[in-house]
Amino acid sequence: MGEITQNMVGSSAEQVSVEVMSAAGDAVVKAKRHHWLVRLTHWVNVVAVLIMVGSGLRIFNAYPAFAARGGTFCCYPFEHHPIPKWLTFGAWLGGARHWHFAMMWVLAINGLIYLGFIYLHGEWRDLTPRRGDIRDSWEMVKFYLFVRRDHPRQGKHNALQKTAYFAMPVLGAVLVLTGLSIWKPVQLALLTNLFGGYVWARYWHFVAMLFLVALSFVHVFMVFAVDPESLRSMVTGNYDSSRAPEARNARPFYREKRK
Amino acid sequence: MRGRSTGRKGNSMAMDRRRFMQLGALSLTSGLVACNSKGPKAAQKLLRIAETKNEIVERGLIYRHTSMDRVKPKAHLAGDAFPAYHISKHTPVWDEAARGVWRLQVAGAVRRPMEFTLDDLLKLPRRTQKVHHYCVEGWTAVAIWSGVRLSEIARIVEPKGDAKYVDFESFDDDYHESWDIDSALHPQTLIAYGMDGHMLGADHGAPARVHSPVKLGYKNTKYLTRVVFTPHKTGGYWTDKGYEWYGGT
Repeated sequence: MGEITQNMVGSSAEQVSVEVMSAAGDAVVKAKRHHWLVRLTHWVNVVAVLIMVGSGLRIFNAYPAFAARGGTFCCYPFEHHPIPKWLTFGAWLGGARHWHFAMMWVLAINGLIYLGFIYLHGEWRDLTPRRGDIRDSWEMVKFYLFVRRDHPRQGKHNALQKTAYFAMPVLGAVLVLTGLSIWKPVQLALLTNLFGGYVWARYWHFVAMLFLVALSFVHVFMVFAVDPESLRSMVTGNYDSSRAPEARNARPFYREKRK
Repeated sequence: MRGRSTGRKGNSMAMDRRRFMQLGALSLTSGLVACNSKGPKAAQKLLRIAETKNEIVERGLIYRHTSMDRVKPKAHLAGDAFPAYHISKHTPVWDEAARGVWRLQVAGAVRRPMEFTLDDLLKLPRRTQKVHHYCVEGWTAVAIWSGVRLSEIARIVEPKGDAKYVDFESFDDDYHESWDIDSALHPQTLIAYGMDGHMLGADHGAPARVHSPVKLGYKNTKYLTRVVFTPHKTGGYWTDKGYEWYGGT
């Protein structure tokens, strides 16, 4: 029969870990990883970001450039080349705008609920940049490049993950603020001018979107390639650490031979 | 435990290349099915509700009569690069032989409806302003507009208390767009007859157009014939096609 002991584990979010001796005699460490509010806001965000990016790209295609009329713009090499239609959502400019200005509320309110919650509940501590993160990030990179043999020890997130999950809300805030700037360049002129005026605010809106999309791609790729257990934990909230990338020395596509 | 890539039950946890490609193909296909689509029909009602709610926020919370569009001193004029859009097959030109001298009718819920010839407008207090034109497509253009403030014309015609909207009608086919009266009376809203130091050309709405940086380009009717104060919203050309009615910046 199994013996259940309760250990308090260090991380603020993995407050209780339950060590169970299974019938086969293996030790399994299950822990509560994600609060239901974190999980809910995560999935709402997936839908919101997909629609915001898709509709935003359709809006962009109405004038896929940045220069003011009669002027030039320094910093976009693909001016007047539309984004491929299949990447856009909304079908026509009017429709895309309706989706964009409706979903923006979902994105912003959901984002505020998430940030407010992790601040009040303490999970923000898992994401703030700390001393040693640059060194730890480099160790992770060395591991993925096979320069380092073993997966670095990590808690809830490794340093690369922390960088990504910290950057995403920051990018989200930039997207919201630049979005407001280009939505109301006269009524919110003070804000628009913080970003350098309408033309630059629109550009930073686009650039921030590129960074967010890139990070999201890497995030989704790594979930499937290295840590499928994390997908389950973002649904149920429970995480089985025996399946963690650290426990398996997991690299994308590479299966380590058993010793 | 370290160095093992299998989970508790002994099944493989590592996603191999084949499984990843399958999953990738599945996600990509489902993504493509959704994209460039209008979205589910049921969502259209929600989108209309969102537009209504947004309008309440925009008119009640965001709009300020004191807000001003300002252009950086070193900003270049768009000049010939300023796009010239119209919906008629050809550039609309006022046919004086057929329709007589052009007059701007100001009518509707006003105490003193009036007609202004171009000379009448030129005699009224002139305002010249260098402002942005914000197109719904996403581009901006800087131009210098000369004309009469609509608020000055309103002072003359005296809109009644129930006048809450203003419709700008044109001779460019059936193009018209209606505004909330607050935006119409904004200090930067002009009945413009001059552009970049010369009289307005046919390309840009001669003899007169409404122009204000507080509204997106499609709200700024060119080739004006009538300015009508009304108690109700009367839609507009692009509005009726589904673009948002408010269109404020």
